[in-house]
Amino acid sequence: MKTTRRFLMGAAAGLALAGMVFGGSSADAKTLKIAAIVQSLNTEYNVLWADAAKAHPALADGTATLTVLDGRQDVLTQSNLFDTAITEKYDAIIFIPVDIDAGNEPIERAKAAGIPVFGSNTMVSNTALYDAYINSNDVEAGEMLAKAVIDKAGPQAKVVILEGMLGQSAQVQRLEGIQKVLKENPGVTILEQNTANWSRAEAITLMENFLTSHGDAIQGVLAENDEMAVGAIEGIRNHGLDPKTVPVAGVDGIKDALEAVKRGEQSMSILQDANGQAQGAIDLALHKIVGDSYKPRAAVWDVNGGKLAWNDGKDQHYYVPWLAVTSENVDKVLVGN
Amino acid sequence: MVSASQSMSGMSLGKFIARYGIVISFILLFVVLSLASPNFLSTNNLLNVLRQVSMNGVLAVGMTFVILTAGIDLSIGSLLALAGAVAASLVTGADAFNPLLAVAAGVAVGALCGAVNGGLIAYFKVPAFVATLGMLSVARGATLLYSGGRPIPNLSLEFRWLGQGLVLGIPVPVIIFAIVFAVAAIVLRYSIYGRRVYAVGGNPRSAKTSGINTSGIIFSVYVIMGALAGLAGVMLTARTTSALPQAGIGYELDAIAAVVIGGTSLTGGIGRIGYTLVGVLIIGMISNGLDLMGVSSYYQQIIKGSIIVLAVLIDRSRAGRE
Repeated sequence: MKTTRRFLMGAAAGLALAGMVFGGSSADAKTLKIAAIVQSLNTEYNVLWADAAKAHPALADGTATLTVLDGRQDVLTQSNLFDTAITEKYDAIIFIPVDIDAGNEPIERAKAAGIPVFGSNTMVSNTALYDAYINSNDVEAGEMLAKAVIDKAGPQAKVVILEGMLGQSAQVQRLEGIQKVLKENPGVTILEQNTANWSRAEAITLMENFLTSHGDAIQGVLAENDEMAVGAIEGIRNHGLDPKTVPVAGVDGIKDALEAVKRGEQSMSILQDANGQAQGAIDLALHKIVGDSYKPRAAVWDVNGGKLAWNDGKDQHYYVPWLAVTSENVDKVLVGN
Repeated sequence: MVSASQSMSGMSLGKFIARYGIVISFILLFVVLSLASPNFLSTNNLLNVLRQVSMNGVLAVGMTFVILTAGIDLSIGSLLALAGAVAASLVTGADAFNPLLAVAAGVAVGALCGAVNGGLIAYFKVPAFVATLGMLSVARGATLLYSGGRPIPNLSLEFRWLGQGLVLGIPVPVIIFAIVFAVAAIVLRYSIYGRRVYAVGGNPRSAKTSGINTSGIIFSVYVIMGALAGLAGVMLTARTTSALPQAGIGYELDAIAAVVIGGTSLTGGIGRIGYTLVGVLIIGMISNGLDLMGVSSYYQQIIKGSIIVLAVLIDRSRAGRE
């Protein structure tokens, strides 16, 4: 009996693995292999990003294959995934780092192994390591969201700030943008400022606690991402207030936030173009490997009718423009998604 | 009963397979992965796997001591982060101290927290689950407080060598893990202390009547666990080049899983540290192998979870019969 059970366990593990292996797609030897090491496939933006990346036309026509590797919001996991990508001799790595500083060293390792690394979405501190990188200007997003709230709540508003995971580039830079606007508006008071780690659940709790301390003195909420903006709206509702009376702004353009904008509960969501960042990064990678004969395919580029100048792929840094979504254009954006 | 002291001679084939089932599973997994991914067997990748498992390995060694006494330690992920932050603060910026001082500080912080755990469990009879659950929260809070909630970057090169360096082509974390493992294996197998750990976990009452200071033994295993969690925190920080306040979340699960897959009984007294090593390697190989094949992390979690539950099922059915 004991024997059988031991065997069963081994066999189960083996079979499960074999299923994964032989069920998976086998790469043609000549197609280019790109690995995308993302932050975490538990966050909506990363999933949107990954889905957009997988929809790149160069994958459909067999020019390249893309493997999305999940960093599980853990720097060590991401570091290990770099080892994996190097071992598997990928032709290029696209990287969304969990941490701004801890992300530098794995890139150095990949470069030492001769694999080009491209940034997308969030950045490491030493951007010189990238062959090229494409993101949106987070300082600008911070400015936009602060202005949106102050426009609604007035120049004497008392506001709270919900911060992302401390130390990540998006948090650092969006806060920088917020502070820039606050400096220009000395009448605005910050009642509270704390991290909800990008998380909706944490933001609900944090907002409820803020409201317990300050009640309806809170006249505006600056959320560094949409998950937290949606959480804040929920917290406001739980406290018995009407979310429509408290301006809330967030960044990313996730579905729930757009719906909240449509209902008039969220003043503005600043849409981060996942499509542009993901497909743009793949274009940059393929251009690097293939050379000038490669023509970019993503819709974000000017050569394909978008707003971002391709400039023959020669730049090291590309900024994907933001789209401010308010009640005026939300219907159009929702249809587009 | 399969115990460490049992003689190996005169074993039937069935018994052999029963005892070495975990090793057979390991070999099976190894073969499957080698066939599935051409790069799995490369020296570089095998060294990668060893380096990747070294931190969980160090944690799992400590966890083996704890579980052998029928205890559990849920706080190690937080201890690791706290020790990492303390160590990093000593080697950051221009006036970096000697990295060995940082290692000592990290290990000491871990051991101190472990002593609090052990004291509560051994002398105040707080259930291990509760005491270490409390420490999980306390140490995480202390980490955030100590670091101001921000990562501690710019660590000295000498310190980072502990996570990234090579000696004769072998990664330093692997060497640290090998030393920790060897010492623990010798202690558990050949020392009086080791036999007492087994005795306390197997039957605390008879251990007490035979004159063993059971409270002292229980206290000590949590100090060992804490010190090793501190060491793992230092290794992790050196590897990732900055101390992150949110590091190590969930690491206790992988350490417990490695021990349990290795067949150590959660009810204490039964188990071998050698099999813990096999458990550590199985978990590391699953992650690495599935990553190499590009299998979605969603599946990986399902596979890992299933294997852990299967291992405990086997343990339960065996315990029920014997």
